[in-house]
Amino acid sequence: MSSHREAPEISKDPAADNADVYAFVSPDRPDTVTLISNFVPLQDPPGGPNFFEFGDDVLYAIHIDNDGDGRPNISYLFRFTTRLRNPDTFLYNTGPITSLGSPNWNKRQFYSVMRVEGKDTTAYGTASSNGTAHHRHHHKHHHHGLRTHVLGRNLACPPCNIGPRSTPNYAALGQAAVHSLPGGASVFAGQRQDGFYVDLGAIFDLGDLRPFQNLHLIPSAPAPGVDATSTLNIHTIALQVPISQLTHNGSRPTDASSSSSVIGVWSSALRRKVRMIDHANDERSESGPWVQVSRLGNPLFNEVVVPLGHKDKWNARYPVDDKAFAKYVAHPELAKLLPVLYPGVFPHLAGLTAARADLEAILLTGLPTGVVPGFQNYTGKTMADQLRLNLAIPPSSSPSRFGLLGGDPAGFPNGRRPADDVVAIELRAIAGVTYALVNKSYTPDAAAGALEQWQPQQHATVPGPGRYQSSFPYLGPPLDGFDTPAA
Amino acid sequence: MTDRKPEDGAPKGVTRLSFIKASAGAAAGAAAIAIPAAVAADHSNGEITEPTTPNPKEPVMAYVRDARRGEVTLMHGTTETTYRDPALVKRLLDAAPKPASLSGGELDVLAP
Repeated sequence: MSSHREAPEISKDPAADNADVYAFVSPDRPDTVTLISNFVPLQDPPGGPNFFEFGDDVLYAIHIDNDGDGRPNISYLFRFTTRLRNPDTFLYNTGPITSLGSPNWNKRQFYSVMRVEGKDTTAYGTASSNGTAHHRHHHKHHHHGLRTHVLGRNLACPPCNIGPRSTPNYAALGQAAVHSLPGGASVFAGQRQDGFYVDLGAIFDLGDLRPFQNLHLIPSAPAPGVDATSTLNIHTIALQVPISQLTHNGSRPTDASSSSSVIGVWSSALRRKVRMIDHANDERSESGPWVQVSRLGNPLFNEVVVPLGHKDKWNARYPVDDKAFAKYVAHPELAKLLPVLYPGVFPHLAGLTAARADLEAILLTGLPTGVVPGFQNYTGKTMADQLRLNLAIPPSSSPSRFGLLGGDPAGFPNGRRPADDVVAIELRAIAGVTYALVNKSYTPDAAAGALEQWQPQQHATVPGPGRYQSSFPYLGPPLDGFDTPAA
Repeated sequence: MTDRKPEDGAPKGVTRLSFIKASAGAAAGAAAIAIPAAVAADHSNGEITEPTTPNPKEPVMAYVRDARRGEVTLMHGTTETTYRDPALVKRLLDAAPKPASLSGGELDVLAP
């Protein structure tokens, strides 16, 4: 998946598992950027009575690098707290929940959000006199100068979508949980339908990409793709922020060719270094600095590019250290596998042994001027996994789900919109389509440009209806547990 | 270190280091913890350092359980013992990072 259960350790810690990140100029408010980070993946909607929630013991963060050094200059930090009205019932709700203040709603969650600014905002709350060289660097150069501003406290999350008796008119309930923040920003945190769509079973069954099944080393009859996340929910943290509040010089960029028009975006989850469980006193205690346990910029980076034995380490490191993983981008395992899995289908890819400068640009530095005519989202030589968004490129009036590959510069890999088919885009890129952009003598295999998960007739239903909405927070209301899965 | 009052059946009149050795021996049924001579002999105040070695697989851990009562809890292996040792508690609290900067040791302003 994009980053659902993508690494051994975080797959055992859903509350902190960062599954998807989106960053795009808001189509209905183009003077703002929308930043979305999803956690707690693969939620089966009827999964009660302890329905899904954020971790009260997790620090969630969305980061913005606006000077190209791979370190965040702005971070939005989120902490959650759960409140139980009545501990003497097993019920999540004791009647219909018709408002966020409903007395029938037993187990509620609230949160605080803070904006941190500085030269490197990962330093907030993570200081240690030991650890990596990166931490030592913090101490020597970035010990001071962080500025904090608590933007909101006691902000209510919506409930999970239980069913028509418990959560009638859920859409209104969800929108009531969109809160205004100082400075014209908006925030939402709560359950949504997962916007990421993928034929998961096919990909992990030895790369049996359904449109090409008959050509696989172990062939089967061609069949339509399966939208494996179509019945699953997720927990979303979404921010909509005026563009001028995210740029280095505090302006709203208008020149798409300027390096100052590009920001890098990623998110992370952190836990305290030590946790103690004491059943005798019915309490849990925590201490020590916050330690990063999950992070995400580009979809599928850790999932598909980083080898299994290094995925936990990748989650623990900051993007500024991603040069250590660049070799996996330059020579991706999947690019070697495709010609083996599909004999004779990818002959040009089979002969491509050079370092993949195209993938390094897409995933680690942004595309410099001259690679795609009229487009750039280059942030400099520092290799760091970030979504790179050129803020001067306006939203598209007719978006292509193939994003930049589909001639739509407002889509992935220029940031990422919820409906962008990032699996198809990255499959095509890894299969060699984008290598031709940096090496004009290379001719991509015909199959590389045809790679996608869905047959043409499926485009009307994948991604499914209701998955997105036209305004903030853009991901559609969660599926309810009474009707999903359908009888 | 003179006000040591072991609780919960811990032997009286032992030093903290000897107790660690004794409890480790009991837990493991064999050897006590090996205390490096340089550590055992060092009674000076601590200084901040940047360790270059990885964390031990299962570190001996101590934490101040109740500062007012001077209680400190020590964990090693699968054992846990709480001492009343105001001098040790004071020294630990004196050494604890102060909330001097936003980059470390601060109270969590977002804490619920």
